[in-house]
Amino acid sequence: MSYSVNISVEAPIENQIQEITYDGQEIYQAPLTLSESLAKYAQKIDFSKINELETKKEPGDTSDDSKSDSDSKDSFQSNLWPWDSVRNKLRSALQEVCVLADVLAIAKDKRYMVLDPVQQEPVDTKPIVQMYARKKALAGAANVLLTGAERLKNSQNEAVQNRSNFHFELLRLRQNWRLKKVSNSIIGDLSYRTAGSKYSQPGIFEVTKAEDEEKPSSPPHSPLPGATPSVKSYSALRVTVPSELQGVAYISVLCQKDQEDLFSTNVNLLSSGPSTTNPDVHWQQKLEAAQNVLFCKELFNQLAKEAVQLQAPIPHMVVGNQIMATVLPGIQLIIGLCHSTSGDKKVPASTPAKTEHDHVLEHSLHQLLREVHHRNTHHPFPHPASGPLGPSKKRSLAGPNATDRYDLLEMTKSETLLEQIIKQAQHFFMRIRIGYVLDTIAKEVKDPLICSHWNSLNSPTQSCVKINIITHGYDVVYRTPLVIHIGEKTLKCICRDGKVMHMSYEPQELRDLIFCHINQHQILAVQSLAKIMGWQYLANSLHLGIGSVELLGNASSCILASPNGDRLIAVRCVPSQTGVQVSVAHSPRSDFFLVD
Amino acid sequence: MGVTVLQQFPIVEQRTGPSTIELLTKRIVALGATQQGQFLVDCETYSSVPQLGAQKTVHVLHNSEQPATVFSILETGSKTIPLITDGLFDLLMMKMSNFYQSKKQTKVESKGPRFEIGDFSVKLGSVAVSQNFKGILVEVEYRPCIVPAMCWDLIREFLQGFLGSSVTSTPPPYLQNKMQEVYTPNDTIQQYLEHFTVYRKSHFKM
Repeated sequence: MSYSVNISVEAPIENQIQEITYDGQEIYQAPLTLSESLAKYAQKIDFSKINELETKKEPGDTSDDSKSDSDSKDSFQSNLWPWDSVRNKLRSALQEVCVLADVLAIAKDKRYMVLDPVQQEPVDTKPIVQMYARKKALAGAANVLLTGAERLKNSQNEAVQNRSNFHFELLRLRQNWRLKKVSNSIIGDLSYRTAGSKYSQPGIFEVTKAEDEEKPSSPPHSPLPGATPSVKSYSALRVTVPSELQGVAYISVLCQKDQEDLFSTNVNLLSSGPSTTNPDVHWQQKLEAAQNVLFCKELFNQLAKEAVQLQAPIPHMVVGNQIMATVLPGIQLIIGLCHSTSGDKKVPASTPAKTEHDHVLEHSLHQLLREVHHRNTHHPFPHPASGPLGPSKKRSLAGPNATDRYDLLEMTKSETLLEQIIKQAQHFFMRIRIGYVLDTIAKEVKDPLICSHWNSLNSPTQSCVKINIITHGYDVVYRTPLVIHIGEKTLKCICRDGKVMHMSYEPQELRDLIFCHINQHQILAVQSLAKIMGWQYLANSLHLGIGSVELLGNASSCILASPNGDRLIAVRCVPSQTGVQVSVAHSPRSDFFLVD
Repeated sequence: MGVTVLQQFPIVEQRTGPSTIELLTKRIVALGATQQGQFLVDCETYSSVPQLGAQKTVHVLHNSEQPATVFSILETGSKTIPLITDGLFDLLMMKMSNFYQSKKQTKVESKGPRFEIGDFSVKLGSVAVSQNFKGILVEVEYRPCIVPAMCWDLIREFLQGFLGSSVTSTPPPYLQNKMQEVYTPNDTIQQYLEHFTVYRKSHFKM
C-alpha cells in the first residue's frame, strides 16, 4: 500500500509488423506521418455524438435554472414549449448546414483549407467469391440431406423386401457353404473333402439368381433352415445340384435270421427327408439333402469296396445296392443303399412298416466314417519337417523306442469299416443271446435266485454282466458271484474261485455253465448253513463219481451230522434236475432210507 | 522284449562254420524248437576325420528284431553314448560322410536261422567280418522277463542244455553290472558290439 508504484501505460514504440519473411526477418510498416496520424485520429471522432451531448446538456441546464427560479414556472415552460426538441434539432441542423456552407466556401478557395481524402482501411468484400462460397455450402448441406434420405429409403426397402435380396441370401449361403466364383457363375462345393473325405465324386453345385419374379408381393417371412417346408418361402437364390445327388438317400441295415427280419436300421441323416426335387424347397434343405446323399454314397462305396476285398470264411456278397455279410451262423447283416430321385412319397411309405428301429447301428455306421474322415485330417503331433506325414504316433515312435517285429506287425493291421460294423453286430447278437439265456434260466430255476446286473458302461464291442446266485432268504449265508465278459464272438466267464472259462457264441454253453454253478451253489449253501446251525460237516464232493451217468457234468453231494450226532443227512444235487435229493439216517440204525 | 544273453560257441578243429550251425540246429530242433525265419545283426563303424579333433568312433548297428530302428554308439574315448533312432539315421550318416568316414573292411554281421521254443527264442548266428567267417554267436532271449537277475539261472540252464560246458555259470561281463536293471534292446546291441570288437581284433592279428 505504502509502496504504491506508478505504472505508465503507453503504446509500444515498435511499429506494426507487416510481414515475417521465411528467414525470420520482420518487415515493419512505415510509421505514419504527423498529418496522417492527425487525419486518422480526427476520422475516429464522431461529431454527431458530441453535438447531441451538447444539445442534451443545454436544455438540461436551462431546466435546472428554471427549477431554481420557481417550480410553477417550470411546469409553465414545459407546457409552453412542446416543440422545443424539434426546434433544437432544426437549429442544430441549420447550424451544421451553415458551418458546412462556410467550410465549403473556405475549401473552395483552397487557401486556408484543403480537403484531403483519408485512406480508409480496405474491407475487401468480393461478392462473386462470397456467392460461390455460399453456393458450395448450400450444396454440401443438400448432399447430406439427400444421402440421409437415400439411406432411409434403402433401409425401408430392405425391410419391405426382407431377405429376398439375392446378395443377402448369398451372404447367408457363404456363411455355411464353400463358394467360389468361376468366370460369371458361382460354384459351390458340398463334398466332405475339406473334412477329410477321400471320396472322388465331386459335390459341386451352382448358385444362380432366381428368375421368376412373379411373387415379389409375397409377405416376407424368415426362411430359416428349421422352418417347416410346407410354408412356401420365396428365395431370390436358386441352387442347382447335380442330378446324381438329388433326391433322398439313406443306408438301411437289416439283420436277417433264416430269411426272417430280426430288425432293421435306417441311416438317414435327414429325419424328415422332404423331397428335394421340389423347386420350392429352401436351398439350405436342398444342399443338406444333397450332402446327405453324398455321405451315404461314400459310406456305401467304402463298405462295398471292403466287402469285396475282405477274405472272410463265408465271403461277403455285393449285389447291386446291397452288401450281405454273415455275422453269426444263420444270421446275415444286410446293408443297403436306398436312393430315390423321383421325389415321390413311395420310399418313406415302406419304412414305417418296420417299426423295429435300432439307433445303435445307424449311429455306429455314421460315426465310423466320420472317424475315418477325422483321422485323415488330424495327424498326430509333432510333424517333423523331414519325416513322412501319415503314420500313427506309435509308428513314428517305433524307431527310437526300438519296437520289435511283433509290435510293428500289429501296427500295420487296421480294421476296415465293414469289419467293425460286423463286430458290432456280432456283439449286439451276443448280448441279446446272453440276456435271453439269463432271463430264461431265471424264469426256469426258482430255488436259487439268479440276479444279473448289466454294466451300464460298455463299448460297442464289449460289455459285462455280473450274475449273483443266491438262495432266497439265505442270501447272506452264501452267494455265488459270476462275471461274464461278452465280446464279439466269445464269452469269458470269471467264476467265484477265479477260474476263467472261455466259451463260444453258442448260448447252450453258458446255459450249462450256469446250471453247473447252480448245482455247486446248492451244496455249498447247505454246507455254510450247516456250519451256522452247528451241524458237523463230514464229507463233500462236487463231482460224485457214483450213481447214474448225468446228462451234464456230475452230481455233487455232501454229508452232514447233527450237533448231537444221532442224525446224518446226505444231500445230492444233479445239475440237469431242479430238485435236490436228501437222505436222512438215524444213528442207531445203520441203514439209510430214502425220504423223498 | 525280454532278456537276451549272447554266447560265443567255440568251433572245434575238425568242423567248419556251416557244419557247426547244422549241429546246433539239430540239437535245438530236437528240443522241440521251430524255425521262424532268419535274423541279421550288422555293424558298420565310422571314424571321424582328423579335422574334427580327437578321434571319435561311431558304430551303427541294425538288428532285424527291431526293423524300424537304427542303433548307434558313439565312442569318444572317455565315454560311450548310445543313440536309438529311426531308420532315417542311415541317410543322415551318408550326409555326414565328410566328417565320419567308414573304415575299410570293418562291416561285421551275424546272421543265421532263428528258432522259437516256448518262451525262448534262439538265434544261431555265424559272424562274418567283411565276408570272412569268424565264429559263431548264439543269442538266447527269454521273453517273459525283463530283469536279468530274475531269469539268468533259467537262461544259463537252457544254454548249458544245448551248448554244453562252454557256457560259464557267471553272467556275461556286460550283464553283470546290470543284473537288477530293466533290460532294453540297447543292451542286446551292446553285447553284440563287444563280441564284434573282439572278432575284429582277431582279424587284425591275422
